[in-house]
Amino acid sequence: MTKQEVIVQVERIFHEVLNKTDIILTETTTAKDVEGWDSLTNMGIIVKVEETFGCRFKLREIIKMKNIGDLCDAILNQKNS
Amino acid sequence: MLFLSVSFVTLFVVCFVLYYILPDKYRNPLLLVASAIFAGYANWMFLLVALAISLFTYGAGRLIERTNENKAIYLLLGSIAALVATWISFRYATSFIFPLGISFYTFQAIGYLIDIYWGETKAERNVATFTLSMLFFMKFLSGPIERGGDMCAELKKPKNFDYEQVVSGMKLMFLGMFKKLLIANQIAPYTQGIFDSVHEVSGLQLLMTCLLYPIELYADFSGYTDIALGGARMFGINLTLNFNRPFVAKSTSDFWRRWHMSLSFWVRDYIYVPLTAELRNLKQWGVFLSLIITFTVLGVWHGAGWTFALYGLIQGMILCYEMKVKFLRDNLHKVVGRPIADILLILRTYSLFALSLIFFKMSTVSDAIYYISHISFEAQSWRDINIGMPDHNCAVAGASLLALWIFEYLNANYDLGKSIGKLPAFVKWIGYFVLVFIVFLFGKFDTESFIYIQF
Repeated sequence: MTKQEVIVQVERIFHEVLNKTDIILTETTTAKDVEGWDSLTNMGIIVKVEETFGCRFKLREIIKMKNIGDLCDAILNQKNS
Repeated sequence: MLFLSVSFVTLFVVCFVLYYILPDKYRNPLLLVASAIFAGYANWMFLLVALAISLFTYGAGRLIERTNENKAIYLLLGSIAALVATWISFRYATSFIFPLGISFYTFQAIGYLIDIYWGETKAERNVATFTLSMLFFMKFLSGPIERGGDMCAELKKPKNFDYEQVVSGMKLMFLGMFKKLLIANQIAPYTQGIFDSVHEVSGLQLLMTCLLYPIELYADFSGYTDIALGGARMFGINLTLNFNRPFVAKSTSDFWRRWHMSLSFWVRDYIYVPLTAELRNLKQWGVFLSLIITFTVLGVWHGAGWTFALYGLIQGMILCYEMKVKFLRDNLHKVVGRPIADILLILRTYSLFALSLIFFKMSTVSDAIYYISHISFEAQSWRDINIGMPDHNCAVAGASLLALWIFEYLNANYDLGKSIGKLPAFVKWIGYFVLVFIVFLFGKFDTESFIYIQF
């Protein structure tokens, strides 16, 4: 699975959780760039990502996620380990 | 030593002059000496406690960094327990004098240790730099609560005299004094009078005081913060922003991203995020539970007693409610139009905060409940509406508040600093002198203290 494929799936999760279909994600997208992605909705997104990709993040991994690229790296690390 | 005292002004001016005369390597030691004088001026014990906590945190940080992850967690938890126990002992034990600033620098210390454990920052090697990051006199009394790693990095930057930065710092300090002397101090004695006699005053006076108190608290605390940030900026040090036009917030979650930001972001990062991560299997209920716990801690941070806990609990419950009915908020504009929807949401957010502040302000829960249950809209006289404030105070505070809101609006939506910068120098300086003259003419200088110093 490539990073770009992961981003596409993550983008679908954002559309579903935030109930918005016009969100476009790139590796450098941060919470500041997406309306509605805040501390109240973030864990809902993480849970959906974990369910979709069949992984479980540690708190430290979640803390390290500063943008979409970091989230995708964490997913790929778990998938490849 | 308080910001509006002669002793502080003397310390600040002497320190500022020496700071830019001395070579760069002596500047931080100078700030450390000034900070030690500031912290120990009222009581040398305050300095001793701050130094002990700083040195303990410095040592704990170095140790946590050197220890492997499995053992470091015990060191981290032990250090946090020691810091919290010390803070609680001073906070709640009446036999001790409460050391000024301890709630602020203890929370900075806890955040710093957690950041080291999480690998978000490196432990500071230089003990003097770290101690200064904890004791720095412009933020010692009431914050902002800085991130330890960021503050140390800020202190290490070379600081040559920068005219623009010094002038910008002076303007911010002036704005803080404007808020404090022309708004907060004009209102404070009269709201306090009502809060001290809730059983004797009319329902409308209770209502008016409830609506005025958030403005007084904002003018007081953000005024303090502006002086702190402005003063630090004059030394070339940028402190964290603490307020961002909180009264334009359209929801309580938006409000807490704008009000006492250094504390609300602290509880978000170090309490709320770990809690939601642990409770994420509970889905939305995990978020609700985390919000309730986080905001109750935020309330209790302000002091002992059920009133502060309830103040925080109410904030948490409002946030849960807002999450549940987000669709109503998002669609309100389709029914009444965007401008009216925005105004309604702003008024609703303000009113909820004003009501919850009754618990923040009253000393017992029964008094707070009495207060809220006796609020009424029935006016008997003008004195009911102005809560006994003389017309002079009403005019000064009212005009100043209006001027402040216009200034904040323009500053947020247009680059006001740049526009003013383009004006001819003599026009700018006439403007500055007129504003200073107004503050000296109408300012109320009878109290030096700020509300948040008690925390």
